[in-house]
Amino acid sequence: MNIIVISTIAMGGLGLFFSVILAISNRKLYVKEDPRIEHVLEALPGANCGACGNASCHDLAQKIVKGEAEPNDCPVGDSEVAENIANILGIESKEVITKIAIVHCGASEEIRKKKAIYIGGQTCKVADIVGGEIACSYGCFGYGDCVDVCLFDAIEMEEGLPVVDLVKCTGCGQCVVACPRNIISIELFDKTKLTATITIACNNPDKGAVVRKICEVGCIGCSLCEKNCGDGSFYMDEMLAKIDYSKIYNCEHWDVVMEKCPTNTIKRLVKEEKVLV
Amino acid sequence: MNIILIFIAATIVNNIVLTYFLGICPFLGVSSKIESAVGMGLAATFVMTLAATVTWLIYHYILVRFNVPFLEYVSFILVIASLVQIVEMFIRKFSPDLYRALGIYLPLITTNCAILGLTLFMVLREYNFLESIVFGFGSGVGFTLVLLIMAGIREELEFADVPEAFKGAPLTLIISGLLALAFMGFSGIISTS
Repeated sequence: MNIIVISTIAMGGLGLFFSVILAISNRKLYVKEDPRIEHVLEALPGANCGACGNASCHDLAQKIVKGEAEPNDCPVGDSEVAENIANILGIESKEVITKIAIVHCGASEEIRKKKAIYIGGQTCKVADIVGGEIACSYGCFGYGDCVDVCLFDAIEMEEGLPVVDLVKCTGCGQCVVACPRNIISIELFDKTKLTATITIACNNPDKGAVVRKICEVGCIGCSLCEKNCGDGSFYMDEMLAKIDYSKIYNCEHWDVVMEKCPTNTIKRLVKEEKVLV
Repeated sequence: MNIILIFIAATIVNNIVLTYFLGICPFLGVSSKIESAVGMGLAATFVMTLAATVTWLIYHYILVRFNVPFLEYVSFILVIASLVQIVEMFIRKFSPDLYRALGIYLPLITTNCAILGLTLFMVLREYNFLESIVFGFGSGVGFTLVLLIMAGIREELEFADVPEAFKGAPLTLIISGLLALAFMGFSGIISTS
């Protein structure tokens, strides 16, 4: 009995002693944090994805409040987020440049030519070590590493190819890192021109004859798109056509160029019936 | 003479990390940069020295006197946790950069078995007051030393061509194993236990 009382008093006394010391030092060593940091942090999406180049949303919030970063530096947040932050700080916000992930491969399950049978691990990263089964060594494996890595549920596999949801995609670039074949790139995006968002669905820089053998929809480097468009929205990078996304949204006859492509390599990212806007 | 022996034993021969394998968590976690390793080492040394001092006083003047030595675990943990709290507030106030570099490992000193281990060793080996302080400080210095060696090696390895499978934790574990082997070379010089 006695020992219980002594133990209680001893531990209670020690606890009280240390709590008093802690309370005093808490008062003395209190760090004042700018309350705006917390408000800005609340306005940010809070995904901690690192797309802005900072370690966390808290880091960015701190930099924005200090003036080292702009309110529109969060590539994930849209202009509403930037405006909210600007309101908190009482400054003007600039237009947000939205970016989006674009897939450069069009070899869907149906038309994908195979060079071998692959029964190994069903992820792109593993398949890349041995080469996978797709004949084109630049094409999509279709195991969906990009789907798994997407923080925003913006990528789905359709017919063996990743399809990016242009509304959900924030252009954070996680999928670019995840893809072992560098099929996905982050490009400029204009939300008002959803249906005009197109891609060169090929990433194979080989010569036309080589590409034609292994893929029906590969870019053969005929440079017709470059000639037909004329304003530089399409250009040739050696034997592979590319789109200049800073010009394409102002291009008026992109649909003509698309139709003229002999291999149908240029594809729309959104089919018309799917547009919700 | 005895005090010098205890200090050397605690820092090198019976190094708390590489001989007793205590405090492995921050040893692996905060050893990637020399700067944060020094900060972590200093924080841990401070906590260890103070913990050894305070726990010795509590053990001898409260627990032994009132015949309740079984309370040593609870009261020691209380002491360590409070000390870590104070250190955390202190670092946050005076060095926010270090605070960010240490991150989660700073509050984790609370549950660092190295510190609880050394206070229990101190009771087990029946050190007197001065010896306890030296033992606590020596253990802290030993911890800092090992953390620094590890951080130095890991900084050099940044430029090495390491096979993909060994990058990060596996390589760190292999290095710590080799370091432990190297520190075994000191055993037999002095023995305290």
